[in-house]
Amino acid sequence: MSQLENDIRRVFAEVWVLEKGSTSPTLMADTILLDTGLDSLGFAIFVSSLDEALGFDPFTLAEDAFYPQTFSEFVAFYERYQPKT
Amino acid sequence: MNSLAQQIAPQLADALIVSSSGGTVRGADLRNTGVALDIGADTRIALKLHDPLDVVRALAALDGQVKAVLLLSHALAPETALVLAQIAGCTFFVSDMMPKGADGISVRPLETVFGPHRRQDPQPTEWLMTTSGTTGIPKIVPHTLRSLARSVYRFSRDSDQSALPVWGLLYDPTRFAGLQVVLQALIGGGRLAVIDTTLPLADQVTALADHGCTHLSATPTLWRRLMMVPGHGRLPLHQVTLGGEIADQPTLNALRAAFPAARLSHIYASTEAGVGFSVTDGLAGFPQSYLDKAPGNVRLKIEDDILWLRPPVTALVAGLPGIEVDAAGYVRSGDRVSLDGGRVMFMGRENGLINIGGVKVYPETVEAVVKTVAGVALVQVSAKRSPVTGALVVAEVQLDVGADPDTTRRLIQEVCRARLDREAVPAIIRFVAGFATNAAGKLVRTGG
Repeated sequence: MSQLENDIRRVFAEVWVLEKGSTSPTLMADTILLDTGLDSLGFAIFVSSLDEALGFDPFTLAEDAFYPQTFSEFVAFYERYQPKT
Repeated sequence: MNSLAQQIAPQLADALIVSSSGGTVRGADLRNTGVALDIGADTRIALKLHDPLDVVRALAALDGQVKAVLLLSHALAPETALVLAQIAGCTFFVSDMMPKGADGISVRPLETVFGPHRRQDPQPTEWLMTTSGTTGIPKIVPHTLRSLARSVYRFSRDSDQSALPVWGLLYDPTRFAGLQVVLQALIGGGRLAVIDTTLPLADQVTALADHGCTHLSATPTLWRRLMMVPGHGRLPLHQVTLGGEIADQPTLNALRAAFPAARLSHIYASTEAGVGFSVTDGLAGFPQSYLDKAPGNVRLKIEDDILWLRPPVTALVAGLPGIEVDAAGYVRSGDRVSLDGGRVMFMGRENGLINIGGVKVYPETVEAVVKTVAGVALVQVSAKRSPVTGALVVAEVQLDVGADPDTTRRLIQEVCRARLDREAVPAIIRFVAGFATNAAGKLVRTGG
C-alpha cells in the first residue's frame, strides 16, 4: 500500500469518526464510495480534509471533472495528480 | 385566469403522478377536485404535509378557491411554521404533522379540505412561498400561479403519450425549485415521478430509471453525487436541469459527457424574483447579450456588481421586508457578478452568504456561536470552495492567551454541532495569530 493510500485511509477514518461518531468501515478496492454512508457534506469534508493534509486536491486540479465511483478509482485519481517531488 | 386544476394538461388521464413509495394520482382526480363547504373565498390556509402527492392534491383543490395558500416545508420546525402562519394571517393548518395550533389557528387533516364546492369563476389565489436559509424566520414571498408558471413549457396536446416527459421530483415541492418541477409536469403535460429522497441515492437512481424519468432537475451538488452512482448513465434523460447553486464549468462538462443525448440547462431563479432565465449552451454564467435582451421577457441589469432582474409577471410589491425592489421594478438578487469574455459570471453572494449544496448559511450566525466557546478570542467565518458541495464553512480562530488548540477545536465542534445546522458547522477550523481590522475596529471580511 502506498503512503498516499495510507494517508487517504487515515483521513477517511478521522472524518468518519467526526461525522458519524462510530468506527469507520474498512475500505476495500471495490468499495462503492456512495455506499460507505458519507453523504455529500461528509464527502466534501473528506475531500477538503485531504486537501489540508496532502496539500493538493485533484478535483480542483483536473481539467475535466471526474467522479470516482470505487475506492480504488479514488486512490488512483489522487495518485495521478500527486505533485511530483 | 384559470386555476391549477383547470390548467392540468389533458394529455394524461391516468397515473399523472406516481411515487416511488407506491402512491398514484390521476389527472382526472386533480381536475375534478373541490373543497369543503366551510372553506370560503376569504380563507387563508397554511399547508404543511409530509407526502409530496398530498401537497399537489391540496394545491389543485385550493388554487382558485381560497384567498391564500402558505406553502411550508415538511422539514420546517413546528414553532417556526406557526409564526409564519400567523404572519400570513392564516386561520388554519392543513397538516398531518403539526402537533397543535395556536390562538385562532386550528389544525385539520387534508381529507377534510376536499368537498363538493367549486367556484365556476376561480379567484386569483396568493401562493405564499418561503425563502430558505439557516437563520431566523424565513421571509414570506408572495406569488401567483401565473408568476410561478410563467416559464412552463407546454407540450403539444397532440403529442404521442410516449413522447411526453417524465419529470423526476427530488426536491421538496413546497420549495421554489420543487414547485417548478411539479408545475412543469402538471401544466406542461407530462408525468411526475415522486422519488423517496430518504432512500440511498443509488436506489433513487434505480427508481428514476424504473419510472422512465426523462427530465430531471437537481442542484449541481446533487448532480455531482449522482455521477458517482454506478450505472447512472442508464437514466434515459432528455433534459438535465441545474439550479439552486452556481453551475460551474467542470460540472457542466461532466454532465455533458455523462448524458450526451440530454439538453443541458442551468436555471437562474430565486424565490423572490421567480425564474429569471435558463442557459442552454453548456457554458457557465450567461451571455452578456442577455443584459440587452434576455429570454422570457426578463430584464436584467448590473449595478455595483450586483445582478438585478425584473420579471415580466410578479406579485412582489415595494416595501416587503427583506426584499429590495427599485422604482423601475427590478429586484435586487444579492448575487455578485463579473464580466469575463462576453459572459456574465456569478461570483457568490454580496452579504457573504455561503451556499453549501443549496443550503444557505450566514457567516455571522456561525461566528456568534463560535464566539461563545471558551478559549476563543476572535473568529472569522468564510467560505472555502469545494468541488463537491460548492462551498464549505471555514472558521479562522484567534485563541485566548494560554488556550489549548486541541481542546478549543473539540469544544468548537461540540458547541456548533449542538446549536447549528449540520451545513453551518465549520468543516475546517484554522488557528491564526491575528486578523486585519478596519478603521472602525471591525474584522475585514474578504471573499464570498
